[in-house]
Amino acid sequence: MLKNLRGRVAFIFEEENFDVDQIVGVKNIKITDVIELAKLAMQSYDQDFHAKVRPGDLLVGGPNFGYGHPHYPPMRAMLHLGIGGVIAESFSPGYWRGEISMGFPQASCSGILGLVERWDELELDWDKNEVRNLTKGRTLLIEPLSYADRQMLDAGGLIPYLKRPMPSAEPAQRGTSSCNAQA
Amino acid sequence: MGYTITEKILARVSGKAAVKAGDEVMAKPDFVIAYDFPGYTDVYFRQMKEEFGIERVAEPDRYAIFIDHMVPAATPKEEELHIGTRQWCADNGVPLYERRGIGHQVAAEVGYAVPGAFVVHFDGHISQLGTFGTLAMGIRRNLLEAFVRDRISIKVPQTVRVNLHGTLQKGVMARDVFHHLVRTLGPASCRFQVLEIAGPALSQISNEGLQTITALAMFTGAVTAIVNPDEGRLAYALPRAKKKIEPVFGDPDAEYAAVHDLDLTNLEPLVVIPPTPANSRNLSDFLGLEIHAGYLGSCASGRLEDLRIAAKVLQGRQVKSGFQLNVVPTSQEIMAAAGREGLISILAEAGAFISSPSCDYCFGRIATMTANQRAVSTGTLNVRGRMGSPDSEIYLCNAATVAASAIEGAIADPRKYL
Repeated sequence: MLKNLRGRVAFIFEEENFDVDQIVGVKNIKITDVIELAKLAMQSYDQDFHAKVRPGDLLVGGPNFGYGHPHYPPMRAMLHLGIGGVIAESFSPGYWRGEISMGFPQASCSGILGLVERWDELELDWDKNEVRNLTKGRTLLIEPLSYADRQMLDAGGLIPYLKRPMPSAEPAQRGTSSCNAQA
Repeated sequence: MGYTITEKILARVSGKAAVKAGDEVMAKPDFVIAYDFPGYTDVYFRQMKEEFGIERVAEPDRYAIFIDHMVPAATPKEEELHIGTRQWCADNGVPLYERRGIGHQVAAEVGYAVPGAFVVHFDGHISQLGTFGTLAMGIRRNLLEAFVRDRISIKVPQTVRVNLHGTLQKGVMARDVFHHLVRTLGPASCRFQVLEIAGPALSQISNEGLQTITALAMFTGAVTAIVNPDEGRLAYALPRAKKKIEPVFGDPDAEYAAVHDLDLTNLEPLVVIPPTPANSRNLSDFLGLEIHAGYLGSCASGRLEDLRIAAKVLQGRQVKSGFQLNVVPTSQEIMAAAGREGLISILAEAGAFISSPSCDYCFGRIATMTANQRAVSTGTLNVRGRMGSPDSEIYLCNAATVAASAIEGAIADPRKYL
């Protein structure tokens, strides 16, 4: 099943309705070479980001992260730089669907902005549905993944997910929260 | 407790007596729709074969492909994409609609907006089929699931109901209603939920106007928008429906995540300032701002009522010298009707550049802006770089405002011309 994510907070995007295209810059959004994209990533936020980031580090976002017209290159660049996933207050559905289908972990966690500072060490536990701030010794719940999203992350994205046997037509589970972040 | 229209539709397509919001089901879409676009359809077609060994889709009439982007082609590569699409459709026996107009509009015209049907696309603006009581969702790359399996995994969404009240003033259009809704409820107000439009004022909004509102649902965070179709919506959709499905309606005691009431009586024309569709403002605060280009078209406008009001504003007047006004009727059917009504000649005489239907103006593939240029637009989106340079700007507004601004070369209030 899904492995816990563990890493430092590499950056905090506090802005509400954050447009992820800003990560590489709109003028670079059509670049397909991931090495070039990774070089361009975060230049308007932290020019030394590449040097500071370590494999497994995580990004933290604000409410409605990924709003607007999200494209795939920014997070392809982040994956290439070793980022292990994004934890945000909440997500915009189009962005969420796109990244989960790429097998890039995303977790919706109300209160995350108040839980962390940059470079804190976090652990994201998919079975307990919680984020632990190992630096500060505090914990918050995340919204549980839907069955399909969990399977897709576990498989490593849409294509390997679809190669698994089709789930039964019976409901896999009833949502446990009234505001689950998966449709 | 009763059921929403969304729950009823998803119950039928997942083969169950009933489902409730939060249930995860495997649902069989009545129709799977896409337009050809690099990185989407060409990839699906390739992956079907190479990854899944599927040579042909099993039920070709359940699929529909549109060629509406890169029309007309400007490079050999674009035409090659279209050739690949035509070939795939021919090999699979899948209906192809080319040069008929913007697919989301043509889908309604040719009968995919079946009341009570479940439709998927990769593009979220397909939500506009909700005008006719169709549950239509954009699921991005996950649409591949619908090409390689007959059912897709879906979690039944909750519904946010918005009741419209009051009477729209002259010069205030459906477009303004949507942006008012975003301003009032917020750009995350319907996240992962269905936006259901209802209320006494809904009957004042034409099918075309409602197509505008439902087309833009994603900017409230909604996964789609829908209405319980009244007689007028059904009268449009049922005679052309591609599938016989009994229309369904939500129960009076259906359970909603939230219910909001929106009074339209004092609503004024709005403008959505760059760089995000969350930025609804009063038009009156931006009057006089210099503008270089105007775009009247897209899947969220460019319909007869938009062309009529633009023609009313521009009749006997001229687009300001140097201003680039592009008018793009949304479909061939609409363009022909506009011709019969004399709208095309009025717009042409006023100095508008009138194009056959194409999606290409909306995303800057043509009529591309350079740095420091500014447009008023009825397109879908105003993010940076959407219509050209990342240093150009897009102000979204209704069709009448585009026309009025074209006369003045600056953001203008259309009501003085009506």
